[in-house]
This record gives sequence, structure tokens and C-alpha cells, in this order.
Amino acid sequence: MGLAWFLVYWKWKALRSGDEQYNEAARFWAKIFGLNFALGVVTGIPMEFQFGTNWSDFSSYAGGVIGQPLGMEGMFSFFLESAFIGAFIWGEKRFSPRIHFLTACAVALGSWISGYFILVTNAFMQHPVGYAVSAGGTLVIADIPQFLLNPWVFAQFAHNQAAAVVTGSFVIAALGAFYTLRGVHVKQAKLYLQAGILAGLFAAVLTAFPTGDQQAKMVGNHQPVTLAAMEGRFESGPMAGVALIGQPNIREKRLDNPIEIPGALSFLAYGTFQGYVHGLNDYPEDLWPDNIELLYYSFHLMITLGTLFILLMSYANLQYFFGRLQTDKVLLWLLMLSFPFPYIANTLGWMTAELGRQPWLIYHLFRTTEGYSKVVSNGDAIFTLIGFACLYFVLGVLFLVLVGREISHGPRAVQPHIPQPGNRP
Amino acid sequence: MIALWYFLISFMLITYGVLDGRNFGVGLLHGFVAKTPQERRQVVAAIGPLWTWHEVWLVGFGGTVFAVFPELLATAFAGYYLALFLILWCLILRGISLELGGHLDDPMWQGFWDFVLVASSGLLSILFGAAAGNLVRGVPINAEGDFSMAFFTDFHIRGNVGILDWYTISIALFATVMLAAHGANYLVLKTEGPVQMRSARLARLLWILAIPLFVIISAEGWYVRPSLLDIALHRPLCWLGIAVILGSIWILFQGLWSANEKKAFWGGNFLIVGLMATGAAAFFPVLLYSTLGEANSLTAGAASAGHGSLMMALIWWPFGLALSVVYFIFISRRYAGKVSIPKSH
Repeated sequence: MGLAWFLVYWKWKALRSGDEQYNEAARFWAKIFGLNFALGVVTGIPMEFQFGTNWSDFSSYAGGVIGQPLGMEGMFSFFLESAFIGAFIWGEKRFSPRIHFLTACAVALGSWISGYFILVTNAFMQHPVGYAVSAGGTLVIADIPQFLLNPWVFAQFAHNQAAAVVTGSFVIAALGAFYTLRGVHVKQAKLYLQAGILAGLFAAVLTAFPTGDQQAKMVGNHQPVTLAAMEGRFESGPMAGVALIGQPNIREKRLDNPIEIPGALSFLAYGTFQGYVHGLNDYPEDLWPDNIELLYYSFHLMITLGTLFILLMSYANLQYFFGRLQTDKVLLWLLMLSFPFPYIANTLGWMTAELGRQPWLIYHLFRTTEGYSKVVSNGDAIFTLIGFACLYFVLGVLFLVLVGREISHGPRAVQPHIPQPGNRP
Repeated sequence: MIALWYFLISFMLITYGVLDGRNFGVGLLHGFVAKTPQERRQVVAAIGPLWTWHEVWLVGFGGTVFAVFPELLATAFAGYYLALFLILWCLILRGISLELGGHLDDPMWQGFWDFVLVASSGLLSILFGAAAGNLVRGVPINAEGDFSMAFFTDFHIRGNVGILDWYTISIALFATVMLAAHGANYLVLKTEGPVQMRSARLARLLWILAIPLFVIISAEGWYVRPSLLDIALHRPLCWLGIAVILGSIWILFQGLWSANEKKAFWGGNFLIVGLMATGAAAFFPVLLYSTLGEANSLTAGAASAGHGSLMMALIWWPFGLALSVVYFIFISRRYAGKVSIPKSH
């Protein structure tokens, strides 16, 4: 989802300036995008089927509601995306540059609409709105606009998409740094570095503020017990702090060795240092998230990484401003090695969202223990889990090998052409 | 409303069956009609970029079923658990072998993925065939409306059945032969040279083999679920389906013997449409027939998501379909014509 907008950006620059370098950048990253997409298609189908196979009681209960966005995703966005990716990859020679640019826009829009429908489903699970309970005890849709425009989904979508752009930016900047350090594909590498660090700074800041901040406020207002668990807070009160370091100790009901910024949590969640933050002790233990330690570390590591992303990208932009981006070896090494961390931060964010919602599948409506497929035996579930682990491991290795191959081939050298006057720096 | 949605999801499943069934057939035949590495690339190129568009129909079907018949998704997918995961794994491997097989110009790499393609396509034909057999025979739904099915129990067709028994195995066999024949028709249409000659020979052989098998499974079906024939005889839609089947067999064999590849190909397409549509028309309103007593069967009314959801789905569904049709027109134009043996580079 992040990479798609870079394709749009380069196609746009190519259209404006007529510089073939931009077209080649779009062409090269479209290959990486295509590999991502192929892997995404084959691994996405099991996720759709899993609602039936492994979460059949959940599907029976909530299918009348969450079936809608997932159906739309399957029918609408999947067709849209696969259609326009086909048109983008196969159509460069057939279409005019303008139409080809539009197909890139359609790919990006399609993938973001796809993401929206998925997040509508997740937002409903986090904060159910717009539903009614039918005579049979299952959920049905009562208010379609309210369901699709769930306030939760806006915060979550903005946060998630900004994080997707961070990932794309870091990968692009990392490859630019790699080529620069190697001294190959120098012109292309410069494009990647510039686009990567600019978008990276912009998106990393957006991920923290306002989107991450809004998301935290949502959690504070609608899932206070989750917020307490994310921060490892047991005591209630105003002037609640944010722990920089500390280890949650569930048995003793405290945070061990805490180093805190006093009042910060009250301020972040409620906008005032006097904001009263409920601790876990205010709630019966069967409402606590099941794995508070993992939740606490996921959240804190995500925040730490997010802060580091902002610092690294700020420094990179500073160096770019002073014209030292291509020559600062330490910075280039850091950029090159940093690309796995946005993937990790994204995963940690999703772990925070999903562990934080426990013990519920649909918040305060339906517990996780009620939702799994009762007819599937443990043996079957473990068998298929092992099968998927093996298959996905192989897919992961294949993906790395093939992306590595594209990277080692690199973009093609662009034939120097006669620039139109006034179009190139 | 429920009948309309039953029609629409049947339409999606039939479309998927016809389109991707052809790829299964081609994938399977790939091991038999192509002798040299170049010819193998030619067969893969005949499937070309179309397979994702075909597989999207399965995704669309799954999504639509979830939106309008959630109880069907919940009951059937959990019940068919292991078989469904086998299908998913094969689909993943099939997709990967088509997408990545041509990525390296290396005989070992391509040989490996060619093998994966043949194996996964063959297994998919068998599994989808067995799934169709299960729909006719029924599944062991209990009084709570759940079922969980082992791969096999005692191979009998009544009571506590497994996915495989003598009936479903024979359907799987028929499906494999028919899809291979269907794939052969497509290869005749889409290729030239030695691959086309071998495919033409195989197409005739396989279709001749399919017809007696078809008679046998029809007789078996009558024995396995007698009530189905009864319903079929009283429904004009089923008569239409049977007319389509007979008509397309006639067109198919005319095409095969007059070497009219287009006629044969379309005859084969409509034969599969006819078979699946006749089944769908005869099943309604039962979605999943119970072998443990007809009262346990899951009907379309009981599985539906409620009026509001069905109405809402009716708003967005046509957009997805329209997009798909537009893309199909684009890609089939781009991809028209025959695939020759790729020049080695």
C-alpha cells in the first residue's frame, strides 16, 4: 500500500518532465510491487477462508455484519486491484503516458480501498456500532452509514496507511543507500534516496501525530482497561505517567523498575495532566487482556521504533538540505540497514491492537473463546498450522531470493536523451 | 431475494469452475503434451496472465457467500476443514509455480516448478471433483447444524460419511478426465505446432472417455440421492440445464471431428456450465444436504444474513461484476491469438 504511491509519484514526474529516469524508477519498483502482489494474492485467500474454517462460530454470530465489508473487499477491491495491476504492468506500451499514469493511480486507490474495507471489519471488532441483534441472537446491520463510518476506523485507517507509507519509504531509501554505497545505478539511487527520505519523514511524523495520538485517545475512551494494560498500570489516578522503561509484574500487580515521564499518559489520553487514568485494579481480572506482558512490550517497542524512525529521517533530511546525503557514509549505512524495522513496527502495532482487544473478539459483545470452530479438532488445527508455517516459510525464502535477484539486476540504464529546455535541473 | 442470491453465488461458482477448471486441465496436461522445455513454456504461456483473473472469482465467491450466506461459510468451511486446506495449499503452489516458474532461465528451476504445476493441478481437479460429489451425496450434518468430516470413513455413502467414498471418488475421476479434456480443447485453440497436435489427439480421447463416465455417474447419482432426480424432473430450469448439456455434447463432438477448435472449445465450456447449473437448479433451496436425516439439511433461507444485508450486498455487488467484465474485455483483447513456442534467449 505504501509502494503504490511511489509508482504514482514517479509516473507523475515522468509525465511532467518527460525524464525517462522517472519511468525507469516506476518500472523497476513495479517489478518489486508485482512480486509483493503475487505473494499477497496467494496468502490472502486463506485469510478469507479462515473465517469459515477456524472461526465458524464467530462467522455464524457476526457474519451478517462483517460479511459485508469482507464481501466488498473480495468482490470489489480484489477485482479492481488485479484488473489495474494487469493494466499497469502490461499496458505501458499500449497506453498513452497519461492513461498509464491513471492506471497507477487506480492501483494505489484500489489497494487503499481494500485496506479500508479490512479496517472497517477490524474497527467493528474494536468498537461495534451500527448493528442490531436479530431474533436468532446473531448480529445484523442496522445502520449502514454508521457502520461504514465508524469513528474508530478513521483513526485506525489513517494510522495504518501512514505506517504503510513509512514501510515503503524505508525500503526505497534503503535500496537507494545500498546502490549509492556500491556506486552503481547512481542516478536511480539518488531518486530513491530523495523520495524515500522525504516521504519517510512525512509519514513517520504522521504515524505518531496526529494519527497514533488519535488512536491512543480512542483506546483511552472506549477501551480503558486496554490502555491500562498497554502501559502496565495497575493503580488509578490523575497525573498518570508513561513508562520509558519498566517490566510489568502481573503477580505483584505492579510495574518493576519504572522510569516514567510523570503525567504524560494523562495528557496523551485525555489532553490534561489531571486526566484520571483507570488502572487495571479498577477492573475484574476476567476483563483484563490475556497477555499483558506481550501487549506492554509490543506497544512500547512500537513507540520506540516510531520515535527512532522520526529521528533517523529528520537527520537524513537535514543532511539532504546541506547536500551531504550521497556522501554521509554512516547515514547511508543506517538507512540501508533500517528497512526491516518498519515491518517489525507494523507487526507490533497489530499485536497491540489485537492483544489489547482480548479477551474479546467483538469488544464487550463476543468473547474469543466463543468464536472458534468447535467442530475442528485440536489435531486438525495444529496440523494445518504446521502446514502453513512450512509453506509460508518457503514462500518467504522464495520472496527474498526473487526480490534479491531483482535488486542485483537493478534498474536498466536509461539512454541519455535530449532534455526539453527548462524541464530538467 | 434469497433465490436471487442463490442464483448469483451459483453463477460465480460456475464461472470459476469453467474458467479455472480449464487451467487445472492445462496444468495437468502440461506433463503430457509438452516434451521439450520450450514447449513447456508454451503451455504455461497459454494460461498466461489470465489465471489471477480466474482465481479472483473464487475470492469473490467466498466473499459474497460470507456477506449473504454466512452460515454456509461457517458450516461448510469448518466441516470440510482438511480438504479445504489441501485445496488452499494446492492453489498457493499452483499460483506460485505459474508466477515464479518463468522467473529464472534455468532448467532445474523450471523443471521443479513444472512438476509442482502438474501435481497441484491434478490434485485440485480431484479435490474439486470430490467436493462436487459431496454436494450431491450430502454431508453428515447433525441436529445442531454442524458437521466435521474425515477424509474417509468406511467408503459408504450413507450415515457418517467421509469426504471420499466410492461415489465421490468416481465423481473426482470424472471431473479430472473432463477438466483435462476441457484443458486440451483450450490448448488446441491457443497453441500451434506439436503441442497443438498432441492436445487435439488427447482431447478426442479424453472426451470419448468422459461420456461413458458421465452416464455412470448419472446412474450413481440417482442411487445416491434419489430425491434429487424427482425434483429435477419437476423443475423446468433443470430441463433447460439438461437441454444445454445434450446440446453442448452435440456441438462438442461436431467440433472435435470437424477439427473446428472454437466449436469444440465452446461446446466443452457449455457442457460444464450445463452440468453445474443443472445441479444448482436441482439443489435449491438446500445448500448442504444432510446424510443423517433430511431435517438437518442447511437451506438457503436458514443460512442467509437477513434482509438488510442482502439488500446492501445488492448495491455493491454489481460494481464488482462490472469491473470484472471490463477487465476481462481488456485482457482478452490484449491476449488474443495463438501462443507459439518462445524463442530461447
